[in-house]
Order: sequence, then structure tokens, then C-alpha cells
Amino acid sequence: MAAGMIKKTFLAPLGKDNPVFVQILGICSTLAVTNKLENTMVMTLGVMFTTALSSWTLSVMRKWIPSRIRMMVETMIIATYVIIVDIALKAFYPEMWKQLGPYVGLIITNCIVMGRIEAFALQNKPMLSLVDGLASGMGYAYVLLVIAFFRELLGTGTLWGYQILGSWWTNWSIMIMPPGGFFMLAIFIWIVREAVFKEGTK
Amino acid sequence: MKTQSFYAKRIQPLMFMALVTIACILVTAALHLSTLERVQINEQFFLWRSVLDAAAISHDGQPNSVATLFQDMVETYENQYVVETEDGTTRYVVERTGPGLWGPITIMIGFNDDLKTLAGISIVSQSETPGLGARIEERWFTSQFAGKQGPFRMVEEGTADAPEEIDAITGATITSESVKNIMNRVTAESGNISREQ
Repeated sequence: MAAGMIKKTFLAPLGKDNPVFVQILGICSTLAVTNKLENTMVMTLGVMFTTALSSWTLSVMRKWIPSRIRMMVETMIIATYVIIVDIALKAFYPEMWKQLGPYVGLIITNCIVMGRIEAFALQNKPMLSLVDGLASGMGYAYVLLVIAFFRELLGTGTLWGYQILGSWWTNWSIMIMPPGGFFMLAIFIWIVREAVFKEGTK
Repeated sequence: MKTQSFYAKRIQPLMFMALVTIACILVTAALHLSTLERVQINEQFFLWRSVLDAAAISHDGQPNSVATLFQDMVETYENQYVVETEDGTTRYVVERTGPGLWGPITIMIGFNDDLKTLAGISIVSQSETPGLGARIEERWFTSQFAGKQGPFRMVEEGTADAPEEIDAITGATITSESVKNIMNRVTAESGNISREQ
């Protein structure tokens, strides 16, 4: 397997094939969990773990999965990894588990996970699928962390729970609520497509 | 296209799915069972900590010291906790649940000996908006109730002055009102809490 192939597979989801700002996948969790940096970090680590390992597992199994039931098998494997994340958080990071509530379980429905399996893992070798899954998770993670950075800072004047802006700052409550997620995501997509992809000037 | 045999079309996928399901269940069940004890210890720690917070017993938040304090000072009864403090007074802690904006809010409420004045409160569980309604868990909010008697009134954040006034959370009016309703109900009924067990 060529190293160039791995590099290409790794870099695509971080840039021109980014799951969030190019493919517009996984939007629901983008809106739901990005109002605190710490929650976002834990959530995106969970997504990275799930996409990487479920892509790998299904790639290993791909020759034996009967094609008519492949989606059931995919969902089952994804759900298993998500439950592993949920149990691990519950046992070792209970405060965070309480805060994230149902969102960890909802990783199962994140379209990025199943999308990468259907589009990539079922046609490629396990190691390459692992790289693709991990990179897709990372492409999702850094977009969410940027959005969470601005939402937490503008919405509560804090970062990672520490007060950054002084008492002169009036919190923008809208940033903490779901509409704030829409605004930040839209602005982010706009800036990236305008400034990086130069779509407006084509 | 060649037609598949009945086995390849119906039986084999079924068996494959059954095998995958059993394997996945075995993995998750094993993980669940191996962490069960830890999870129960965590839950017990959260419960004990909220009882101590409601009874205004200061602690350092470490699992060991919380457990020691709880076992030394607290008697658990069917629907209340009785806390014997170091200076000889008794505090009564009850748990109450009421509706919030997104789901139920459960609060641990501690009363002083007179069964009227609040020793403190702590939020046991809630599913309010993170960053807004979820701020009812923060100490500046819960500590407002200590030493006061109900009924309470929610006022704009930062303007609470009179004894019955509580700073509401800006942007979380419904959550603040929900907490107020739970608190006003429990303080109105506090005379019913039994001193004898």
C-alpha cells in the first residue's frame, strides 16, 4: 500500500472533502454539543473513536457481509462502539457523562459514521479505512471545536469553564442556544468557501 | 444474473446477523458488567455528595471523605435523610422532583431543626439547556436559598435584595421558575416532615 494513498486518504476529510463544511453531514450534533468547549472535546473524541474503529471493523468483515443486510450489520457495529464510549464515560468520567446526557448515544445516528462506511470502508482495506475513519472524525472535530470556541466565548465569556472576558462583557445568550449554532456554522461555512475555496469568484 | 439458492438468499444472512448480534452483545455486556461496581460507586457518591451539600456540611469533594462524612453524620430513612451536625443540631434532607423545561429537575433540599429555614439545596439531576438552564447547578445559584424561608420570588439576575427574592438566571426564565415552584411547594409542606422515625 502506497504511503501517498494513506496521506491522500488522511488529508481529504480535513480539507476539500470535509464532512461538515463540504458534505454538510453531522449537523444535528454540531448544533447540539458546541456550546461548551469541554463537552465538544469529549463528544468529538467519541465520534473519532467510533468512526475509526467501526470503519476498520466493517472493512475487515466486508467480504463476508451479505449485501442485502449490510446496513443492519453496520448499525449494529456502530452501536456497539458507541455503547463502549458511553459505558467508559459513565464509569470513568461520570460528571461529563451526566452533562452530555443523551448526546453520546446519538453518535449512532451521526451520518458521518455510516456515510464513511458505505462510501469508503466497504471498498477498501482495513488499515486505509481506519485512516479514513479517523481523519473524518478529526475533520468533524476541528470544525466543531472552532464553533464551540466562539460560542462559549461569546455566550458565557468563558473558555473551558475559565472566565476569560471581564465583567464588562455582556453574554450573548443566543450563542448558547441552538440558533447560535446555526449562525456560527453558517458563518464558518461561508468564510471557508469564500476565502479558501474561492467559490464566489469562479 | 444467476439466481441465488434459498440458503444464500434467506438463511445465510439471517445466521450472519445473529452471529454479529451475539458477538456485539457479548462485548457490551462484558464491559457493562466489568464496570458495574464503579458506576454504582459513582452514583452513590453523587447522591451522598448532594445530601451533604443540602445539609450545608462542608467537604472537599473527594470520594473517600464524602463517604466518611456521610456514614458518620447521616441516617437514611425511607423518604428523608437525617443529618446530625457536629454542633449537635439536626438537619432534615428531602428529595423532590418537578417539571423543568426539557425534563424533570430533582433537588435535594435541606432544612434546619425548625423545619422552616433552609440549610441548603443541591441539584441531583436536571436536563436543562447547557450554559443556560443548567446553571442552576452552580453554587452561586443554589447557595442563594441557604438560611431563607419560602415562599420565594424570582427577580432579574443580580437584583435579589429582600429575603424572599432569588436571582433568576438570565436566558433561563422557565428553568428558574421551575426551581422556584419546586422550592415553594416543598417549603409550604415542610411542616409535614416527621422528626421521629
